Amino acid sequence: MADRDQLIAELSAIVGSAHVITDPTSLTVYECDGATQFKALPDVVVLPTTTQEVSAVVKLANRHNVPFIARGTGTGLSGGMLAVNGGIIIALNRMNRILDIDLANQRAVVEPGVVNLLLTQAVQDDGYYYAPDPSSQQACSIGGNIAENSGGPHTLKYGVTSNHVLGLEMVTTDGEIIEFGGSVEETPGYDIRGVIIGSEGTFGIITKAIVRLLRKPQGYQTLLGIFETIDEASNAVSSIISAGIIPAALEMMDGPVIKAVEEAFHWGFPLDAGAVLIVELDGITAGMQSQVEQITEIFNDHNCREIRYAKDDADRQKIWKSRKSAFGALGRLAPNYITQDGVVPRTQLPKVLRRIAEISEKYNIPIANVFHAGDGNIHPIVLFDERDPDQCERVDAVNTEILTVCAEVGGTITGEHGIGLEKMDYMPLIFSPEDLALMVDIKEIFNPSGLCNPGKIFPTAKSYAKLGLETPNHSLPGK
Amino acid sequence: MPISNPLRYDLNQIVGEAGVLPDDHLNRYQMDGFVPQAVVAPSSTHEIQDVLYYAAEQELSVIPAGNGTKLGIGNLPKKVDLVLSTSRLNQVLEYEPADLTLIVQSGMRLAALQAKLAEHRQYLPLDPPYGDQATIGGITATNSSGSSRLRYGSTRDFVLGMHAVQSSGVVVKSGGRTVKNVAGYDLNKLYIGSFGTLGIITEVAFKLQPLPEIERTVLLTCKEIGQVVNTALEIASSQLLPIFLNLFVNGVPFTEIAEPCLLIGLDGQPETVEWQIDQVGLAAKQNGAIGVGVYEATSQRDIRMSMRSFPEGGWASPIVMSKASLRVTDIEGFIHAALATGNDLRCLAQVMGLMGNGIVYVALSGFPNGDIPAESVAGALAKLREAATNVGGNFIVESAPVEVKRQIDVWGPVGRSFDLMKQIKAKLDPIGLLNPGRFVGGI
Repeated sequence: MADRDQLIAELSAIVGSAHVITDPTSLTVYECDGATQFKALPDVVVLPTTTQEVSAVVKLANRHNVPFIARGTGTGLSGGMLAVNGGIIIALNRMNRILDIDLANQRAVVEPGVVNLLLTQAVQDDGYYYAPDPSSQQACSIGGNIAENSGGPHTLKYGVTSNHVLGLEMVTTDGEIIEFGGSVEETPGYDIRGVIIGSEGTFGIITKAIVRLLRKPQGYQTLLGIFETIDEASNAVSSIISAGIIPAALEMMDGPVIKAVEEAFHWGFPLDAGAVLIVELDGITAGMQSQVEQITEIFNDHNCREIRYAKDDADRQKIWKSRKSAFGALGRLAPNYITQDGVVPRTQLPKVLRRIAEISEKYNIPIANVFHAGDGNIHPIVLFDERDPDQCERVDAVNTEILTVCAEVGGTITGEHGIGLEKMDYMPLIFSPEDLALMVDIKEIFNPSGLCNPGKIFPTAKSYAKLGLETPNHSLPGK
Repeated sequence: MPISNPLRYDLNQIVGEAGVLPDDHLNRYQMDGFVPQAVVAPSSTHEIQDVLYYAAEQELSVIPAGNGTKLGIGNLPKKVDLVLSTSRLNQVLEYEPADLTLIVQSGMRLAALQAKLAEHRQYLPLDPPYGDQATIGGITATNSSGSSRLRYGSTRDFVLGMHAVQSSGVVVKSGGRTVKNVAGYDLNKLYIGSFGTLGIITEVAFKLQPLPEIERTVLLTCKEIGQVVNTALEIASSQLLPIFLNLFVNGVPFTEIAEPCLLIGLDGQPETVEWQIDQVGLAAKQNGAIGVGVYEATSQRDIRMSMRSFPEGGWASPIVMSKASLRVTDIEGFIHAALATGNDLRCLAQVMGLMGNGIVYVALSGFPNGDIPAESVAGALAKLREAATNVGGNFIVESAPVEVKRQIDVWGPVGRSFDLMKQIKAKLDPIGLLNPGRFVGGI
């Protein structure tokens, strides 16, 4: 960048020099997200505090023809906020105010940098909460959640971020400030808000959101079953759904995860168990016990070895802690891991998990599974050592095969982490060139210069080659 | 028999005689006085493409439709040539009950689908107006939903993926068939509620719900509207989980109820429903209700059907139907504005409010001598719109006589995002083939 000093001076004039990060050491904080296998250093990071400042920064970036990328708290898992072509990262951490809480209308207005869990904490004493709960909710920001259309363990019953956002304020890629949707449920015209949600920061920069708050359920019942095999646990999941029960959450861990968790935290899980299944019911307490009995029966029908019932909230927290500690425990098994995020129809779970085990064996790369079984959203955790180039190559083949299996059974390649950099090569597995061309058309409406978060989502000629597919001859998406 | 009409002849060539509606049925598809030149029902995506190529070549407009129940919604059309009905694309394509998802062709009627799903004790929890006749594609294209959106969400919340044919004939898939999916842009949202202006939806993937064990409706009547509103808002902010909280003023269709009232839908296991009925009873008492109890429908039509048919007599009668979307705390003020409108126009103003969602339907009917005074109605609607927009809400006119529509924009202001909408329309339908003029801002 020829006139970096000039750019920095102009950025400092907008947000104050204290909020412009330029020194290489501090910039490394912004070189990656949670998918640490991808790294790219931005030229400069700015931390605005108002929508007007964001708008001014975007206009400046346009004048200088420099890429700009919004960033929340960097907990993403697909490399979606990397400055792959350098440029300005607009870090929204200082735009972290809850602007309004309107309990009577069950709404809140938040800035994008508000940490997900803090919104729930702000309203929980009044008996409300914000439903989308990604596993990173203690750290991730609502702006990032909107960009990725994040899910979480409770999406089975409550849906994803898109189901909970009513209105958005966005700085468009040319620096205009436009509102979409509103504080009411229906607004006339195309649902542009709905298209912006999940656009991975490529349509503009969200500076405000109006979100739904839900009333906390009257009660919970949480139970944990230990199964001999993952097949039996998977079939139990299907039986629960077939019985007409929609739990708030249905989470599973497989043998390798159980072992790792047990060795790290000693929850008392048998080391030879095939699977642990956590079921949570919520809602009105009257009648809930009979559902617990139904689930108990289903568990027993599938040779469940042991069932643990949460007697109180402390017990419930303990069960959830064993699930949420899984990722930490896996750090002990290998220096690095990549978490995949495929989704398959629930009934395909046993087959897909068997295929994953075969893939693991074929490439001699260990894979552990901890996932949202109720949604069919699997998280195979591919364990490796990035210092070994041969392993890295095999890991790449493993990823391709796993996602190919997901696509083959009618599933998709990402349920909640987004495409970002990580999965753009795999988009042709599920979308035709025509499907992708339409997405590119829409992107060009929102982001004609391509300066807003470039180099993400769309496959390249190399992607098609990698999958052994013919490169489409008309305008290649992501050109 | 020789066919004298060249359009008919050409269409017969494309979709076969069975796919072209007899001319004496065309009136059923009239939109604001415009009668289409032909109604064509292709039996495959291929035929849809061919109809679109033909229409583009002949410069004929194409109005996508399912069973035609919502063709009345929109600004006056610019041009009505062909109605393209999906009614012959009416099969379930994939259904695995244990997945609780399905893929269905757009022309299938919701009622037929529900019957199929009921065999597995499942359903799609949407109950839009004319839910017995409406098709999946029409419901999706109009983002139509009914009372149960309070508990289960609207069409937008249930669509997982779809296939649509663009006006160029290109078939495009968006989303997928799994309950979670964030691969690529969520273009489903573009088509949902686009009123056929962006493409012809051919198949839709939905997530489903298990049928509840039981369902009960509680009826609660009060002297004052304010008491009904307060009870509804109290229930909406409680831990109860009603399917719907519908307020009626000036009558509930197909019942004798005349007082302001609230119908509360409850479902689930018997114990869960019983407990909620008791709680509703307590809330009713505290708010001074004059009557409360489980409602037993007296006519053959069940109570859900009666809400789907609001107002009694349907939209076809000389009537003005409108719909406001508001914050729930603004509903009461708006209802009073609606009733004042009825007084001003010396007509009957009936109100159905989906209290948990802030959706308020206002039906104006019973005008003196059966004449709708277009100018004063248009003026009154503008005032009513102001009452909604002043508090951050929206107001659309879903049905009105042509003379009224000439004087108003049925959708109301769209705001600064309109420019993006125009660009989206231009990109997806560059020749303006699909449903021209009907949607917001004349799109």
